Amino acid sequence: MDPTSRPAVVIDNGTGYTKMGFAGNVEPCFILPTVVAVNESFLNQSRTSSKANWLTQYSAGVMADLDFFIGDEAISRSRSSNTYNLSYPIKHGQVDNWDAMERYWQQCIFNYLRCDPEDHYFLLTESPLTAPESREYTGEIMFETFNVPGLYIAVNSVLALAAGYTTSKCEMTGVVVDVGDGATHVVPVADGYVIGSSIKSIPIAGKDVTLFIQQLMRERGENIPPEDSFDVARRVKEMYCYTCSDIVKEYNKHDKEPSKYIKQWRGIKPKTGAPYSCDIGYERFLGPEVFFNPEIYSSDFTTPLPAVIDKCIQSAPIDTRRALYKNIVLSGGSTMFKDFHRRLQRDLKKIVDARSVTSDALLGGEVKAQPVEVNVLSHPIQRFAVWFGGSVLASTPEFFAACHTKEEYEEYGASICRTNPVFKGMY
Amino acid sequence: MILLQSHSRFLLQTLLNRVQSLDRAVELDYHWVEFDDIRYHVQVSMKNPHILLLSVSLPTPPPETIFFGGLPFGAIEAIKAAYGVIVQILDPPRDGFNLTLKLNLSKLPSDEDYKHSLLVKVASIREVVLGAPLRVILKHLASRTVAPDFDRLVALVHRPEESFFLVPKADKVTVVFPMRFKDSIDTMLATSFLQEFVEARRTAGLNNAPPCLWSPSPPMELKGAPENALSANAGFVTFVIFPRHVEAKKLDRTVWNLSTFHAYVNYHIKCSEGFMHTRMRRRVESLIQALDRAKPDSEKSKKTANVRSFKRLSLKDNSR
Ligand SMILES: Nc1ncnc2c1ncn2[C@@H]1O[C@H](COP(=O)(O)OP(=O)(O)OP(=O)(O)O)[C@@H](O)[C@H]1O
Ligand SMILES: [Mg+2]
Repeated sequence: MDPTSRPAVVIDNGTGYTKMGFAGNVEPCFILPTVVAVNESFLNQSRTSSKANWLTQYSAGVMADLDFFIGDEAISRSRSSNTYNLSYPIKHGQVDNWDAMERYWQQCIFNYLRCDPEDHYFLLTESPLTAPESREYTGEIMFETFNVPGLYIAVNSVLALAAGYTTSKCEMTGVVVDVGDGATHVVPVADGYVIGSSIKSIPIAGKDVTLFIQQLMRERGENIPPEDSFDVARRVKEMYCYTCSDIVKEYNKHDKEPSKYIKQWRGIKPKTGAPYSCDIGYERFLGPEVFFNPEIYSSDFTTPLPAVIDKCIQSAPIDTRRALYKNIVLSGGSTMFKDFHRRLQRDLKKIVDARSVTSDALLGGEVKAQPVEVNVLSHPIQRFAVWFGGSVLASTPEFFAACHTKEEYEEYGASICRTNPVFKGMY
Repeated sequence: MILLQSHSRFLLQTLLNRVQSLDRAVELDYHWVEFDDIRYHVQVSMKNPHILLLSVSLPTPPPETIFFGGLPFGAIEAIKAAYGVIVQILDPPRDGFNLTLKLNLSKLPSDEDYKHSLLVKVASIREVVLGAPLRVILKHLASRTVAPDFDRLVALVHRPEESFFLVPKADKVTVVFPMRFKDSIDTMLATSFLQEFVEARRTAGLNNAPPCLWSPSPPMELKGAPENALSANAGFVTFVIFPRHVEAKKLDRTVWNLSTFHAYVNYHIKCSEGFMHTRMRRRVESLIQALDRAKPDSEKSKKTANVRSFKRLSLKDNSR
């Protein structure tokens, strides 16, 4: 039977989490941490040249080749034994370790989705700054190892924009603010084409928020076992953090009514099994504040997110700017803080209004500029908006025609994956 | 992971999630496909949150395999035996599916372990349905008899339009798999993988495993099989199953492993290809290091890292 009659497999590999599932569904089947636990003990055996030894080493290697785990299983394995080492295949949105990545895909396909890769077209995602080589490499692995019949490598921000497709009207012009775990990108898209030269990225993302919270809690002397503190910080962030409208006021609120604002965290020490508890205080609003006042976290990068978005739009072609301000779409797990979109919209509006006031003043009040509409959209599926966009895209009939097929790959080689059509429109 | 598990991970996850919050009304509608073209559909409606409709479609059977009412022989009995009161078989099934089950989650037992094992069993629906005829035959083998109607060559579907063959006797069952692969490299790897597989069976310690043979041409047992079943680009694998392989608890495992043997080989071929790529990458890295060491110092200082990503595109090149 023809693979195009089956739903395509959609896998969004992120720095922190991988979302995977089948096209046409509203939710991914699995959301797993992007991590592989490998058993590399066989690598450290002393090398000897004798034939018999080579053979045992070889078969140890073959066995270890299958002795690895991904996702939550990987994390629990590495906790309970020393033979497994965690390896994170993706760093800052870019694939860093192709061996680990290939194994990760292998398990995604055969152990989690349990599908035959020869039966399905695949849609994978990449960050807008991925190098052509990386795309070629992805294509090579998919076509050579897994024999997929067709492959489409989509840019994750374009998919995030496509996710709004069904929730509202079809609007393929907008700015995507993708704040994931390892990378934050602000990507302007006009009519479905990425304006490559205006992409801005920020070296602060979900992981930094977690690190910052961990640091705050450690400095306050909270009683958390060190091996658990990163994980606790991450969970505190996901459960209790929110965006405030003004830090000073928020500090006052906390000081006046500590019982209302200070939360408790209860956990169990992994080594001894003894229970412990600690307070969660100011980090509840200071965590997300990192995006609006980066100087509290790092001295290297101090431009707030709203200013970066403004710069990004200002560098885009002038005829697209109004449309871009009107459709700012959030995507990625780290935009899920309560009221994140309100704060972003308010701060951005302030910048835009200030600019129109100065330009009005320059013109001396003869002509009034039409006010610019600023709209930051948030939707309930923000966490996997990219995946959802992929699912929507891959269930359209045009999708299969846009894919690179195995025949093309065999005819022309991996170079077919070099270019991505969404960047083509600009040149 | 060495062996494929018999339950669908996603189905089990869905069931467990549903059971955990049974009172909360949700709307679920999931479609997915597993290897060998088994399609699933799960539906829960707001009105009846404790009812879950599970539909399964099976691979299209080739002409030599017989389905009764869209299902393999013995499937209905197997479903009833495995699930008891919690399922009801809907007749006719949903459009496009071979089987629709109505699961009443409020009828699950309260004992946690038992409940979990029952849900795992539901998630293993493909083993129950598709493995039903094989189970009937092997059960007879365990009692050293031959099932009536199953005394000649029997064909059972395991992949779309493909079947494997059994020759049931009272003291042994011979199972023959014609192995076919689409890709030429896969075919090559499969051929040597299967020969190694047969070789590995001979090593000490596996004396009790079913005897296993590989041949490039159809074995004797397939006499009388239809013409199209006799061509297989990666040869034929034969297992001989004895009563000791299907005793009591071993039966389930044997049924599952036999009915997904092709998927198992396919999985391991993909793993080997991945393994070879890993080795190739290591080799390339070490060669590049050797090259780098050989460079004279003056050249080393030149930064060449960015050159690779530059590819001249001419304006005329609009082909892609
Ligand atoms: N409810 C929540 N509130 C705040 N942060 C959250 C929440 N849920 C998840 N996160 C954070 O979002 C991040 C993961 O987001 P996401 O899955 O979008 O990233 P990714 O796609 O893996 O990474 P990237 O896109 O950067 O490669 C993690 O840092 C996680 O801690
Ligand atoms: Mg992402």
